[in-house]
Amino acid sequence: MDSSPKISVSPVVTDYGFVALVLVMTCGLALLAAGRFLRAPQRQIDISPVWAQFRFGYGIYALIFLAFDMEMIFMYPWAVVFADIGISAFLDMLVFIVLLGAGIAYAWGMGGLKWE
Amino acid sequence: MGVIVTGTAVLAALLAGAALTYGLERLFVQHGREPGPAHDVEFNRNLHIANSDRWLLPAGPVVAVAGVALAVVVVPFGPGLIGRDLGIGLFYVIVVIDFVVLGLALAGWGADTPDTVEACYRIIAQLVAYVVPLGLAYVGVIMMARSLSTISVVNAQSALWFVVLQPIGFVLYLVTGLMQSYRAPFLEPFAGSIGGGVLGVSGGWSALLWRVALSGVFFLVAAIGAVLYLGGPSGPVLPGWLWMLVKTYALMALMLGLGRCVRPLSTAQMLALSWKFLIPLGLVNVLLVGGLILLGIGP
Repeated sequence: MDSSPKISVSPVVTDYGFVALVLVMTCGLALLAAGRFLRAPQRQIDISPVWAQFRFGYGIYALIFLAFDMEMIFMYPWAVVFADIGISAFLDMLVFIVLLGAGIAYAWGMGGLKWE
Repeated sequence: MGVIVTGTAVLAALLAGAALTYGLERLFVQHGREPGPAHDVEFNRNLHIANSDRWLLPAGPVVAVAGVALAVVVVPFGPGLIGRDLGIGLFYVIVVIDFVVLGLALAGWGADTPDTVEACYRIIAQLVAYVVPLGLAYVGVIMMARSLSTISVVNAQSALWFVVLQPIGFVLYLVTGLMQSYRAPFLEPFAGSIGGGVLGVSGGWSALLWRVALSGVFFLVAAIGAVLYLGGPSGPVLPGWLWMLVKTYALMALMLGLGRCVRPLSTAQMLALSWKFLIPLGLVNVLLVGGLILLGIGP
């Protein structure tokens, strides 16, 4: 709690404790909404079930996405320290981006970037 | 008690922001055009679907609202008006806002009707399209601000807004922000041809929560956009919260207006646009911003 200065708690704990509190309060809000409609009339839908194996058209996209999502996350710590390090950080990222660009070009050339 | 008050204020900000967003959005809905996430929902009757999953379907809207509410925690609405200034602020936003996608996918699959299962596939395809270019638009801002904290990003723009220094990043953010919030022209998961997708099988409390989550996600996209590129709550004369309000809704109106000028894209077209154009553009933007910083331009 903020009001007890005697106990020193790491700011990480208080910050994410607050995040957890907001999460709990949101669940409470959802419960309130559900409770409000507890006695509301019901509408029924009867549709035959459709759970089955589906063929989805973006399989290759999804695979490349996994690689690129990771790549994007690697860029975040780099971006924070970039201005302090300067030219060597720029050249490192240049190599990284050229490799990624080559990856996209390869996938595109092999016909991976299309809906199947 | 202090944290409870702050937590309540965060949720109140979300509800007020979502309500204003919905109001603004209805102004832009034209007759004969798809309303997308502003689709009409049935508030006064609950819905029972015979073969739906008992847990997945109701978990959907709760997960989506939770994701949006958690993201509001780091949005600065003015000097001192912030839930918590987390050290990893922008990264945290990217992570928690995607819980909206998880919620939509859970409900879409859990409802087990042909329309919603289709919507579940479209939602996930949309995630595959927008996350990487959106993340690259954030990277340019982080490079100039030298920090992930939203407050530091606002302070870094005290002299000049990043929209001036990084116009490509701003355009990238506008397009991917529309994808992230499912607004026209990227409203395929809520298309009328599949009965409004997940909204078509909502009713009563779930309709209410979906309204909050889907308006809230657009509110967040505009608010984070104002923080990243328009200097957030900083500005002369007027109080900070008013600047933030004006910037957020001006950006939202710009996005809605631009979105209405384009024919709605299918999911396949959107994936192609993202991977063949937006991601290469995002990589070029990172290099351009790096070059600007090396030349000594920027804060």
